[in-house]
Amino acid sequence: MAKQSIQRAGISRQSSGNFFQAIRAIVWKDLRAEFRSYELLSAMLVFSLLVLLIFNFALELDVKTRQSVTAGVLWATFAFAGTLGLNRSMAIEKDRGCLDGLLLAPVDRSAIYFGKFISNLVFMLIVEAIVLPLYSVLYNTNLFQPGLILVILLGSIGYTSVGTLLAAMSVQTRTRDVLLPILLFPVAFAVLLAAVKASGGFLDGSDFSEISFPINLLIGYDIIFIATSFMVFDNIVEE
Amino acid sequence: MFLQETTPDTSGYMIAGYVITFIILGIYVASMYLRNRNYNQDMTLLDEMERVETAKQAKPAATAAKKAAKSGTKKSRK
Amino acid sequence: MNSKPLALKILDAVSLLLLLAAAYLAIFVAPTEKVMGDVQRVFYFHIGTAWVALVGFVFTAGLSVIYLVTKDLKWDRIQVAAVEVSVVFFLITIILGSIWARPAWNTWWTWDPRLTTAAITELIYIAYFMLRQGIDDPDRRARFGAVYALIGGLSAPITFFAIRLFRTIHPVVIAGTNAEAEGTFSMTPEMRSAFFFALFAFTIIFIDLFWNRIRLGETQDKVEQLKLKVTM
Repeated sequence: MAKQSIQRAGISRQSSGNFFQAIRAIVWKDLRAEFRSYELLSAMLVFSLLVLLIFNFALELDVKTRQSVTAGVLWATFAFAGTLGLNRSMAIEKDRGCLDGLLLAPVDRSAIYFGKFISNLVFMLIVEAIVLPLYSVLYNTNLFQPGLILVILLGSIGYTSVGTLLAAMSVQTRTRDVLLPILLFPVAFAVLLAAVKASGGFLDGSDFSEISFPINLLIGYDIIFIATSFMVFDNIVEE
Repeated sequence: MFLQETTPDTSGYMIAGYVITFIILGIYVASMYLRNRNYNQDMTLLDEMERVETAKQAKPAATAAKKAAKSGTKKSRK
Repeated sequence: MNSKPLALKILDAVSLLLLLAAAYLAIFVAPTEKVMGDVQRVFYFHIGTAWVALVGFVFTAGLSVIYLVTKDLKWDRIQVAAVEVSVVFFLITIILGSIWARPAWNTWWTWDPRLTTAAITELIYIAYFMLRQGIDDPDRRARFGAVYALIGGLSAPITFFAIRLFRTIHPVVIAGTNAEAEGTFSMTPEMRSAFFFALFAFTIIFIDLFWNRIRLGETQDKVEQLKLKVTM
């Protein structure tokens, strides 16, 4: 208790500067560690390709039907790969004792949340950035539309915002990795649904009126869950 | 003439629905009852264990007190 | 091992009577619906349990906030009770919905918005229990449970709105009309009384089960504490 009050006193004095510095430090640490080993990215990427392959065989589509399921297949792939990344990212944190180290530092807990959230998001976006052109080439469809990119960004933000919080929880339980999908998928269902609808809309070239609702939903979800996760994160990493 | 529709006989489904409802509620109540009974049994067992523990701790304390009393009387005799 | 308070014993009896009375009203007193026949009668219990379970889930999210603010484990115990009872009631809702669907829409299940949201909501709260099961420390278990129940509780209504993007064949009995909904019917006054009685009955039954479950949780905590004490 005493330590916390000292920390809080320290924080209130150097408040916002310290906060953003901490976030930047965490993100930088994660990125640098990753670009040395490519541990996460390689796993997520290979996994994504395998999932795409499985979908290809499982669905066995002709060209026309394939177009209608592109959005769904993409987002299913991103969801699974995202889970992998979130799990590994948090597990690395815990196994190397980095989490404890971060907790000892006089930093606001929510800075840890934002730091992890941003690094997880960056990794997910990198994987998506590679999968998208790959899918385009493999299936001869042009996926490079600004609308689609926007949806992927918003959807990934929503998914990672909740995912980071839930991964931080699940890594501290006995069942660890297995628990994250069970916790995450029901909650992230709304994001995935809205993202698929919006993506499909952009790929079909639908009216903007049809796409605006899912996009608003995505934005709303992102805001609500970033805010909630950030407020609640303290409770997850207490000692 | 107008076509008169007959109401389909779906009473089988209705019965299934109500039976299932009562069964599920029944199972839940039974589960609470059983859990409660198990906890109460655990409690009696644990209470018993606690009593044995405190009795054991009381014994050596009693014998130590007796020894102290004995040596005390011995000393006074010397 | 305190004995049941008299009030609870009375509530137990009253709940059972209300359940039987609601069933009687629904099966024998309410008129038969013309298009679907007798299966429509499950509707009274379907909505009764749905209403109560959903209120229960919302209540759960509120309890999360209270626990996280007060850190008093009593609220955690109450939350577990609320979630457990709600899960049971919602399961009944889903099954009755499926039974109604079979003759009405000729399918046991359909990936229609309301059904899908219902399935997901149920999964969220089952996941709640799986999360708790993986944690041994009671304080951490309470904290994590509260956080997840809050997140889950927030996501459920958003999920519902998300799926409203799609058309539904689920009947809209109370709020507005939906031209594509099959199996919609309008309620006669006799039906209305059976309907509201069922709502009332299930509210009382929920409170009864909820209170019993809280007491069970208290007993459980006592046993845990005693175990620690004895094995010290």
